Amino acid sequence: MQSITQLVTHQVRQGADFVRFIGLALRIQFTRLPPRDVLVTQLVDAGWGSLALLTVLTLFAGLNLSVQSYGSFERFGGQDLLGMFAGVGGVRELYPVMAAVVCGARIGANLAASLANMRISEQIEALEVMAVDPVHYLVAPRLWAVTLALPLLCGYADVIGLAASYAGAVWQLGLDPGSFISQVQDAVRLADIGTGLLKGLIMGWLVAVISCFHGYTVAKRDGAEGVGIATNLAIVHGAVMCIVVNLILSWLIYG
Amino acid sequence: MADPTSTPDDTPAVVLDNVSKSFGDHTVLDGVSLTIQRGSIAVMLGPSGTGKSVLLRCLVGLLQPDRGRVLVFGEDVAALDEKRAADRKRLFAIRRRFGMLFQDGALFDDMTVFDNVAFPMRLHTQLSEQAIHEKVSDRLARVGVAHAEQKFPSELSGGMRKRVAFARAIAIDPDIVLCDEPSSGLDPVMSATLDELILELHRTLGMTFIIISHDTAEARKVADTIGMLANGKLVTFGPAEQVFAENHPALEQFFTRATVGPIKVV
Repeated sequence: MQSITQLVTHQVRQGADFVRFIGLALRIQFTRLPPRDVLVTQLVDAGWGSLALLTVLTLFAGLNLSVQSYGSFERFGGQDLLGMFAGVGGVRELYPVMAAVVCGARIGANLAASLANMRISEQIEALEVMAVDPVHYLVAPRLWAVTLALPLLCGYADVIGLAASYAGAVWQLGLDPGSFISQVQDAVRLADIGTGLLKGLIMGWLVAVISCFHGYTVAKRDGAEGVGIATNLAIVHGAVMCIVVNLILSWLIYG
Repeated sequence: MADPTSTPDDTPAVVLDNVSKSFGDHTVLDGVSLTIQRGSIAVMLGPSGTGKSVLLRCLVGLLQPDRGRVLVFGEDVAALDEKRAADRKRLFAIRRRFGMLFQDGALFDDMTVFDNVAFPMRLHTQLSEQAIHEKVSDRLARVGVAHAEQKFPSELSGGMRKRVAFARAIAIDPDIVLCDEPSSGLDPVMSATLDELILELHRTLGMTFIIISHDTAEARKVADTIGMLANGKLVTFGPAEQVFAENHPALEQFFTRATVGPIKVV
């Protein structure tokens, strides 16, 4: 009974800490420009560093979307709808979520581990002693970098995923290329692409703030184990949050 | 409120007035009071876990004492609340007067040795890159790591990291240099070199040093003021000659490495 009470108390306290951290992060992020050199480094790491992984995954996901759905459409002679399905399903849902979850896990783990390591090795304290605000110097550029990088990654995933779906539909399944392209053009509106990018923006910020929170709030006494726990929590909480937020956004936008 | 950068010369660098700090049930500092004059070298001795590092953190406002005042150049750091913008500004102004050597160096992993030492200069001075380059080279040469300028901390030995961290601590000629175990991890020759460097900086630039140490030889060599913390209390503190002459039992135990005495081995 006591352990349950302790667990609940711990969770409530951590929730309150997280809310406070969000307030602090928002204040720092939107009231002062982040240090440019740190921002550029983080942007390159989050964006450029995720490209290879995202390319491979969206290639296979796009191909799979065509190949797997083809059988279902074929049963009622609706093969021509494949372009519409691959376009709408991919651009609205699959690619933004994939980019956020997969790249978010990679970026989030990196953020949490690096901040936690800086905490246990007293680098954050060293910044404080040098009269540097660590939230402004470390957290703000990371928040900006991931928030900017993830929509771009979502857009990139759209392009690669659709190209892969086209390749699967036309070259492997023998569908008419013109028909596939016109299906995509008819079904996918500019607003759908915008929605995907908006999802990337929101999920990017969430992934960043969750990861920074877990990394930044590690205590020095937690040591290497604390770094591992922070990294793990950043990945799990970030991924769950992306899925939930995606559902809520889809529900709000598409009803 | 007085500007800490314009305090009169006779204001002590640091005054602790009845400072106490506990973590849960464990009292780490218990009513500690002391005064460290400007331009002195104060060495705080004491067994592990007696609050020496906590004391240093209270000086720069990284930790808030539960009770008491922490005056740095006359301004009470303990009364400043980092969450309030005005207090934060004051606190940062005070911190800029400090350089701190952390026990494990606390060098920034993603920066080269050069950039680590240049970091506070780029942040708090208007020096040109050329001037920064010259000053960093000078600092690194003083601590004997000029050859490692372009290396990353992960490529350095523990002793080298410590020396680079010391170069960073003195990078912008701070008024007070805090050293947490400066000689740990250094060989005796390099340890002696670091002592010489402390004495030279003290002589030429008038820096105030507050050194946390277990190294009795270092204390004898550099200290003009010695204090000893044991079980959270300041058991002795004063001019080095006087403290050595009084020969407090805890200090004697420490210097003679005796296992029996007032300092209990937990």
